[in-house]
Amino acid sequence: MQKRITLFCTFLLASVFAYGQNIIVKGTVKDQKGETLPGVSVRVKDSDAGVATDVNGAFSINTAPNSTLIFSYIGFATKEQAVSGQTVMNIVLAEGNKALNEVVVVGYGTQRKGDITGAVSVIGKKDLDQRPNTQIGNLIEGKTAGVQVVSPSGSPSATLSIKIRGTNSINAGSSPLYVIDGVPAQDTRSLNPADIESISVLKDASSAAIYGAQGANGVVLITTKRGTTAKPKVELSAYYGVASVRKKLDVLNADQYRQLATDLGYSTDWTKYNANTDWQDEIFRTGASQNYQLAVSGKNEGTSYYISGGFAKQLGVIESSEMARANFKVNLDQKVNNWLTIGTNVAYTRYNDVSITDDTNVNGGGVLLGALTTPPNIGIFNADGTYASNPFQQWENPLASLYGSTRPYKNQRLLGNAYGEIKFTPDLKFRSSLGIDYINAVSDYFLDPYLTSYGRQNNGIARNETNLTNYWISDNTLTYAKKIGKNNFNILGGFVAQKYRYENTYIQTTGFSGNTIPTTNAGSVIGSAYNNKSEKFNNSIIGRVNYDYAGKYLFTANFRADASSVFGPNTRWGYFPSFSAGWRLSEESFLKDVTVINDLKLRAGYGIVGNDQISNSNYYSYLGGVSSGSNYIIGGNIQPGNYPSSIENRNLKWEETKQTNIGIDLTILNNRLTFSADAYIKDTKDLLQTYPVPRSTGFDFALKNIGTLRNKGLEFLVSSKNIVQKDFQWNTDFNISFNRNEVTALYGQQYFLNTISGRSEASLVTEGQPMGVFYGYIYEGVDPQTGNALYLTKSGEKSSSPSADDRTIIGNPNPDFIYGLTNTFSYKDFSFTLFLQGSQGNDIFNATRIETEGMTGPQNQSTAILSRWTTPGQVTNIPKASVNNTDNSRISTRFVENGSYLRVKTATLSYNLPKTIASKLRLANIRVYATGENLFTFTKYSGFDPEVNAFTSGNSANTNGGFGIDYGTYPQTRNLIFGLNASF
Amino acid sequence: MTTKYIFRYALAASLAVGAASCKKSLDLQPISDATVNNSYNTASQAEAALAGAYNTFVGSDYYIWDNIYTSDVRSDNHYAGGDNPDFFQYDNLTLTATNSKVYGDWSNLYNGILKANTVIQRVPLITDPSLAADRKAEIVGEAKFLRAYHYFQLVKNWGGVPLVTVPVTTTDPADINIPRASVADVYTQIITDLTDAAGVLPDSYGDASVNKARATKGAANALLAKVYAQKPDRDYNKVLTYADAVISSPAGYALVKYSDLFDDNHYNNSESILEAQFNGTTIGNWSPSLLLPPSITSTTWRKFITPSKDLANAFDSEGDVVRKNQTMLFEQAPWVDEYWSATINGVVPFPYKQRNLVNGNSTSRQYMLRLADIILLKAEALNALGRTGEAATEVNKIRTRAGLGNTPAASQAAMALAIEKERRLELAQEGQRWDDLVRYGRAETVMNALNETNLVTGQKVNYNMTVQKELLPIPQTELNRNPALTQNPGY
Repeated sequence: MQKRITLFCTFLLASVFAYGQNIIVKGTVKDQKGETLPGVSVRVKDSDAGVATDVNGAFSINTAPNSTLIFSYIGFATKEQAVSGQTVMNIVLAEGNKALNEVVVVGYGTQRKGDITGAVSVIGKKDLDQRPNTQIGNLIEGKTAGVQVVSPSGSPSATLSIKIRGTNSINAGSSPLYVIDGVPAQDTRSLNPADIESISVLKDASSAAIYGAQGANGVVLITTKRGTTAKPKVELSAYYGVASVRKKLDVLNADQYRQLATDLGYSTDWTKYNANTDWQDEIFRTGASQNYQLAVSGKNEGTSYYISGGFAKQLGVIESSEMARANFKVNLDQKVNNWLTIGTNVAYTRYNDVSITDDTNVNGGGVLLGALTTPPNIGIFNADGTYASNPFQQWENPLASLYGSTRPYKNQRLLGNAYGEIKFTPDLKFRSSLGIDYINAVSDYFLDPYLTSYGRQNNGIARNETNLTNYWISDNTLTYAKKIGKNNFNILGGFVAQKYRYENTYIQTTGFSGNTIPTTNAGSVIGSAYNNKSEKFNNSIIGRVNYDYAGKYLFTANFRADASSVFGPNTRWGYFPSFSAGWRLSEESFLKDVTVINDLKLRAGYGIVGNDQISNSNYYSYLGGVSSGSNYIIGGNIQPGNYPSSIENRNLKWEETKQTNIGIDLTILNNRLTFSADAYIKDTKDLLQTYPVPRSTGFDFALKNIGTLRNKGLEFLVSSKNIVQKDFQWNTDFNISFNRNEVTALYGQQYFLNTISGRSEASLVTEGQPMGVFYGYIYEGVDPQTGNALYLTKSGEKSSSPSADDRTIIGNPNPDFIYGLTNTFSYKDFSFTLFLQGSQGNDIFNATRIETEGMTGPQNQSTAILSRWTTPGQVTNIPKASVNNTDNSRISTRFVENGSYLRVKTATLSYNLPKTIASKLRLANIRVYATGENLFTFTKYSGFDPEVNAFTSGNSANTNGGFGIDYGTYPQTRNLIFGLNASF
Repeated sequence: MTTKYIFRYALAASLAVGAASCKKSLDLQPISDATVNNSYNTASQAEAALAGAYNTFVGSDYYIWDNIYTSDVRSDNHYAGGDNPDFFQYDNLTLTATNSKVYGDWSNLYNGILKANTVIQRVPLITDPSLAADRKAEIVGEAKFLRAYHYFQLVKNWGGVPLVTVPVTTTDPADINIPRASVADVYTQIITDLTDAAGVLPDSYGDASVNKARATKGAANALLAKVYAQKPDRDYNKVLTYADAVISSPAGYALVKYSDLFDDNHYNNSESILEAQFNGTTIGNWSPSLLLPPSITSTTWRKFITPSKDLANAFDSEGDVVRKNQTMLFEQAPWVDEYWSATINGVVPFPYKQRNLVNGNSTSRQYMLRLADIILLKAEALNALGRTGEAATEVNKIRTRAGLGNTPAASQAAMALAIEKERRLELAQEGQRWDDLVRYGRAETVMNALNETNLVTGQKVNYNMTVQKELLPIPQTELNRNPALTQNPGY
């Protein structure tokens, strides 16, 4: 060390000595076409001194006459040029292999794309600009291989869940870790997509292992924008859009309903029910969205800044549903001196929404099923102003669910970090960062005491729930980069500490004297009031070594040791290593002369990652819980009692995934065609599950690490520059992913999930099958004699009264493959992007049809039942009506439909106003565009929309095993958006 | 320049200080949930754990009413009612291993044992000075009594069962898949626990409302008398010893007016040795709402237990009006009863020993132990030991209280049968009958001799009682979960 410091001192002295004889070097930097290049980094070799070119490509730098300048710019080959006493240097930079030189954000650092040995997908600016949207999940969908976006519904407040390379867990979370500018975050709904510069998706263990116990589901790294230009850049964007549902479903009209009700044996004075209301018209409307963003950014004299503010508001296609978001962001970096840089990224978001009740039937207040099954014969209101209900049941019409209550949700969030980076030597850097994520969410609910029957019964209900999340993370890392001959080393080591704290309060009151005060204080009876707090702490040690020899042989080794307070001292530490290697064949002498190949790289990696997303209620389960409430009366007084509520298990630990990945990257034909392929196998073991134990223990279930899962798959990416001309360009990007998921061992346990009212569960997690297969009877049509539905029994007979044992696996919601295809055409100032996205081979369980074709009660039904069985001998596929009996509408293959689809996800036409016009408006650039989303959908699916996943919202365990079910789910919408981007 | 470097290193070091040692930070505890680590440290926590253990008497189906099914419905005393096929299996002696009640009861009892085991393990470790050594010993004694009480139910109903005496702290199959112990070993554990309990428990805690809520020395002795009578190698000398200990207890147990026992105005009376404590609101007994007639419940669906014709006849044959009227209430029922009325609105008897009901909840109790049972056990022991004359004296105490004349039984054999019948009439609906029949070796004889006709089908019911049916099946779910278990013969 002593020697090193001496060496550095000598070096520094030398440079100070050199300073005395400096000269000013001026010049401009241009590309091969002769266009000036602004923002090119001009650096003095072996020193920290550096400047950037201005808007005209000009630079001026103070340097020694015998020094060497390094010119680098994204997308261009870096050039070194000796000053040799010149005071004017005009430089021409050659375009490089953009893709390979692109700097990719990886865990705790960046890497040149060409040096990456793991499976990392990048979604960059061009993809992000194409799709104006309010959620980052939408930005990712279909844009890269291996990433499936599961959108639970089309609600403005829906949270998209993302699965990277399949579902990794049964009971623990299966969402990836999101890291925003280095701060891991739980909720992505309140992020502002306009602030995002790039998204890196770390898909395999070798790239995600640096996130250890949080990495098993993959990692999504989100990098926000920073200032880049010397001249302050002001960007304004705005759009307005309208949304509508793709289609309506055909239900019975008033006369047809009356006939059905009469056939079912319901009679009433029909003269009181003479309306013919189209409930779908009543609940659906034309949605509207608007979005305004303003950003100012710049970079000068060591300061880089990005300040933005935005406002977005969306009115859903279903009445009363809405979302509004206001956000403010500051990114600031300051070079304090030649060894210290400090900076901060701070974002404040205020997010409000109003959601509606969906994914349930009319009995549960489900709006969609309410619209489909409420008889058209009634109007919205009774004469007394209350909501009208079904003539035969106290089921109110869907407007009661929408407007009988107010349901505002407000979320305020501060997410950000502050960092300091110290350069000890040009090779050795220390970085310390402290990040926070502070979320305060309030849900209010007020049910009018008069308008609805439930409201009248309770004299109004008010609820108030607050959730407070406090999170901080401290990262301290040391990086050492060194080049010795052709050997390049990059070594990282550090500590990470994270603390989570959740607080929750809830109160519900009833008994309101009126509807003037909607808050809980006005209720006369406290129904429920509670308060909960929990916390956890994580401590980690991370390390990584990147080594390459001449950019030809690449090695990466990661290691992370994680400790979490929620596990017992014996198993608290988990160790997550990974190794990967790449071989750039194109750098080998035998391929160097093959000009058609620009780049060819083989990659292979292996690693272990963990999953710590266990629910709060399972925190500290290793200790054995003790619950209160088992009281007993002694001496006439209640003596508070408690009891052991969960089994102590000191051996509880993380779920662990071992992943092997091999891949190939190929760039050919003058960098015009890029091809990537990856193959992987992921084996997850020690699944955290509630497992039944012998009752002689006194317990029923215990949380245990038991069971294994496997995901394996193939991914392909093709990117092609089909036509590259001065005025006309055509690019095509295509990706396709195949994932196969299998529960490989569950030790006799089965999970039945997703209850369809009155008909038990529709999904099953069982050994030897993919997650969440559909489970039920095989439908064999209608018995022409009795009109009853027939089902196939185990013994091969058809029966109208099969036993529960006759149920089998009847469908698979996991697609065979998913794909995305983007074509971009540019002609002069016009650009057109067509983005197709699809899913093939997945089934949908259409439980909506169980409610609309079941004919088990006085619900309105779909027009399909007009062909129902009515007379003996009649041959039809719709069984007879059967009041209060679900035997004719069991969960069966009758309701399993092909869920494959191909849709025009977006089509965007944009026009950059000519510079002459822009400059007249004193703008540097102005672009107008029109985007259509979900314009066309090709599918055989009969429901509202094939992108449907009831039971996947929220953090319940069903999220993993419950996709592909349609149960009166808020449909995806067709959107038309008009927007404008301007900058000066 | 060197200072500059020092400054850099110092800054880096100070920034890194947060990461320097976070070992302590990892030792967090849940905030809003208690754990075994922080729930058993103080005197009041010891009492809370014990109260939780007692809660099994008022919080589990087994002690609320399933014990009546297991004993009175299964035997000749009552029929099943309601609408659940599983419940009728008890009545018809067609129990299967998948019966939900059998599984629920097994689970209830083992949950009670877990809570008792927790107290027995944790309380002795408490160092809180405000927990006096005497009280500490008492608490453990009370828990041992509870553990014995639950194991007694298990061994009577299922035979040898897994013997678990410490709370599990692992989910390792080797540690939780415990095989069945022998019947003798279970009884040995019960007797050890009760002997320990009797050694430390007081005769009285002071007020009756405490003495009847908690285990006392009298309760431990009473249960010992029952255990020594019931175990296969019974010891009537011991039965006599412990029954006498109860009868002559300083706690002053004494027979009360029979109707006072069940009129809901004499809770914690002097005949009571131990009774489940309800307040009818936060801790309520819900079984009366399922058993009492429409005039009390205001519900018109069929109730779940119906006294049998054979039981009514048994009362009538003795001219026992007092106890019959306390045991059953006749009323019109708006449903068909297979045994009493083939038509709707016939007169049907309803169980009447728990009869209080307010807003669907009840304060009525079951006696966990009461003196009349112990006096009759003493008579049984005396008779078995050849002291038939002295036995008659004890039996007559019970008969006199019921308004009946002295027992005519003279021979030892006749006296045995007389005591069996006396127990039936005295303790009907109190979960005793099946054990009595098994103990007397008469279960097969009595059940197969029953003459019960289903009025709807006109068929005589054939109970097909066998020795094997004396035990319940080990629940199938438990067999699935614990491969170390074996099923009882005949199931």
